[in-house]
Amino acid sequence: MTTLEGLAHGFTVALQPEVLIYSLFGALLGTFVGVLPGIGAMAAITLLLPLTYYISSEAALVMLAGVYYGAQYGGAVASILLRLPGTPQSVVTALDGYPMAQQGRGGVALFTAMISSFAGSMLGIVVLVVLAGWLSAVATEFGAADYAAMMIMGLVAASTIGSKHPAKSFAMVVLGLILGCVGTDVNSGAQRLTFGRTELIDGINLVALAMGLFGVAEVISNIRRADRHGPPDRVTLRQLIPTRQDLRRMVAPVLRGTGLGGMLGALPGTGSTISSFLSYAMEQRIARQPERFGKGAIEGVAGPEAANNSAAITAFVPTLTLGIPGDPIMALMLGALIIHGIQPGPLMLEARPDMFWGLVVSFGIGNLFLLILNLPLIGIWVSMLRIPFRWLYPAIIVFICLGVYSVRGSVFDIAMVAGIGAVGYALSLAAFSPALLLLGFVLGPLIETNLRRAMLISRGDPMIFLERPIACGFIMAAVALILFPMVKSVFRGRRPGALPPDPRGIWTKKKGRR
Amino acid sequence: MITHISRRGFSAAAIAIALTAATPVLAQEWPTGPLHVYVGFPAGSSPDTIARMIAEPLAEALGQPVVIENKPGAGGVIGVQQMLAQSDGHSFGVTINGPLTTAQRMIADIGYDAVTDIAPVSLIATTPLVLAVSSDFAADDAASFIEDAKARPGEISYGSVGQGSGAHLTAELFASEAGIELFHIPFQSYAEVTTSILGGEIDSGFMAPSAALPHVEAGKMKMLGVTSAEPFPQVPDVPVLAGQAGLPDNFRAELWDAFIAPAGTDPAIIERLNTEITAILGDKEIQEKLLAIGWKAEGGAPDLLAQRIVEDTELWGAVIDKTEAAAE
Repeated sequence: MTTLEGLAHGFTVALQPEVLIYSLFGALLGTFVGVLPGIGAMAAITLLLPLTYYISSEAALVMLAGVYYGAQYGGAVASILLRLPGTPQSVVTALDGYPMAQQGRGGVALFTAMISSFAGSMLGIVVLVVLAGWLSAVATEFGAADYAAMMIMGLVAASTIGSKHPAKSFAMVVLGLILGCVGTDVNSGAQRLTFGRTELIDGINLVALAMGLFGVAEVISNIRRADRHGPPDRVTLRQLIPTRQDLRRMVAPVLRGTGLGGMLGALPGTGSTISSFLSYAMEQRIARQPERFGKGAIEGVAGPEAANNSAAITAFVPTLTLGIPGDPIMALMLGALIIHGIQPGPLMLEARPDMFWGLVVSFGIGNLFLLILNLPLIGIWVSMLRIPFRWLYPAIIVFICLGVYSVRGSVFDIAMVAGIGAVGYALSLAAFSPALLLLGFVLGPLIETNLRRAMLISRGDPMIFLERPIACGFIMAAVALILFPMVKSVFRGRRPGALPPDPRGIWTKKKGRR
Repeated sequence: MITHISRRGFSAAAIAIALTAATPVLAQEWPTGPLHVYVGFPAGSSPDTIARMIAEPLAEALGQPVVIENKPGAGGVIGVQQMLAQSDGHSFGVTINGPLTTAQRMIADIGYDAVTDIAPVSLIATTPLVLAVSSDFAADDAASFIEDAKARPGEISYGSVGQGSGAHLTAELFASEAGIELFHIPFQSYAEVTTSILGGEIDSGFMAPSAALPHVEAGKMKMLGVTSAEPFPQVPDVPVLAGQAGLPDNFRAELWDAFIAPAGTDPAIIERLNTEITAILGDKEIQEKLLAIGWKAEGGAPDLLAQRIVEDTELWGAVIDKTEAAAE
């Protein structure tokens, strides 16, 4: 079956009334659970799983997929408006999205996130259709050494984002790495830093960490402000529409983000988290005025949103073509397919073309639906900020507790989120960047596991990192990333004032025009 | 005021709890409310799927809803702990063998004793592991694999799903019975092991038949043997390892999934549950559904499960002793 025939066949599957309705239902539900802090796609898919036993396998899969990418849209809302990222991906969106919201440009930030998500998904579908075969071959080519090298490169590249002080950034990354060590050591089975608690054997709950560092900490710091400030001003429609300059600034980051996300999404185990961090780091590095980042740079919203949505689409490549799920959500979807007697694997495309192409087409329809649904909703989301703090913040805390509990039904995790929230507040007072802590937490265990595995595979020979071409490339990139700023500063030193910070930041420019 | 209300609420709850605890649970009246079945694995995992397959017909038979409570963590141990923390006479558990046989060797204080704190109800299903290698691997059967391993001790690597996992211990048992030495590389999931075998990083792995099957059908992997005593219906062509190439005739390594209750549960209730589960497992449709996800329906009396727990604790305990000794 050629690609075109496949797509045509996909339309006949995806446009069946039952499949279409479940697809749209999934996307809609995904958006709403994505908006709720802490309650993400995982919880929604878990709840929907029993329902999938009673509907056709195509409808079940497109519904669950709809929840998955719908949540990516919704996740941006809470992180931009309230600094409440439910997932590590949306942490990156909050870095510049939240400052934009504080400047009264929350509507523009949301619009940017939606458009970038849509563009990222659509281009991701193109990548999926054109390169599925190649990507699945690449995924098996990637060995432990390659993963370790790639993550190290990612950590180096992203370790400077979101903070002005290198020492503070470094401290946060290291703290994240330490927290990532909590739990069972894969190689020896020994328990590290669990203090005898069974609840910590599988490590710290990622949602509890993200919600505590961002959500709870943000609520605490607003307690002091809540009495003094009234609700933010009314948002006019004009404020929702990005300026032409905004749009121009978005295009290149969206394209770069899509490319990055599309590639990384196809690698099982890395997926969308690292792609949004890397996209942000890349945009900041190549920007003419990197100092704008963290203060409401639109590129910092557009790139990562495109990257994580495109990664969410290509994450289906290893799941469907190799039967290898990249993250727990993909594992759940794989489980749903297996219950229906479908075993994804190398033969899936030939054995069940209806499933594969139907899913691909449903991605397109679902994303279009999400865009149409979400653009008018932006105004409503933004007006959420006008809810008085004394109602909004207690409600947020309730949702955070629900979300954290929903991950593994553990009361212990709710206590954790409270403690982490207190730490997060202290960190924000001292101007540490919690985003970097989270980055270290996510990448640390992946680096460690793959590094040690690579060393086992090579029987202790570190040359494996230079002998494997993929690993070697990433290691060289990491070294270049470390050396580049040094060389640049030497270069700058010779020509003082060659790159002065632009005195007219984007916001002063805008105010001037108004 | 607030403390007053909550105190009143608290005492009401305390009385309610005291009442439930004080009322002797009579098997005739039982169940008086919904059953809660604790599963130590997340929704969508195979222990969860099996629990849900049993839950629906069980609810019909008992006339009360059966609610699955997912309490994932620590290889299923948290699910058992959570079941034991309830004392309402309506809390049960579905668990794989690990938390009842090997967990106390892996985790310092699991907080329960699998023999004295657990009342076995019924075995539900079993699954063997298959020895899988890449299709490029020279050996075509277990005998030549063992021969190859004897020729180059410690050089053939295998992946498992973690230190002390069924896949790890099975491989160690296999190696020790065959008198060979294999090189262990722990992973976290069969998906990772499979990718690594396909990518040529590691040589082999003991894995769930359903994890290997799609790649075998695609011609990328070979299955050299299965660890059950008889050929496994999902992969009927794969020969059993027992009795092959110098392996003992009673060589058997199976994972199982079972329905359990807290110790002290009324024997009449255990009997009732066992009867219902045995009937459910006799249903052809349930058997086929189980087989589709790689498990073979296998019920039996509570005593049979108790015996299985004791036997497997001993079997795997010995393997753990050996690997620990080798590590030192």
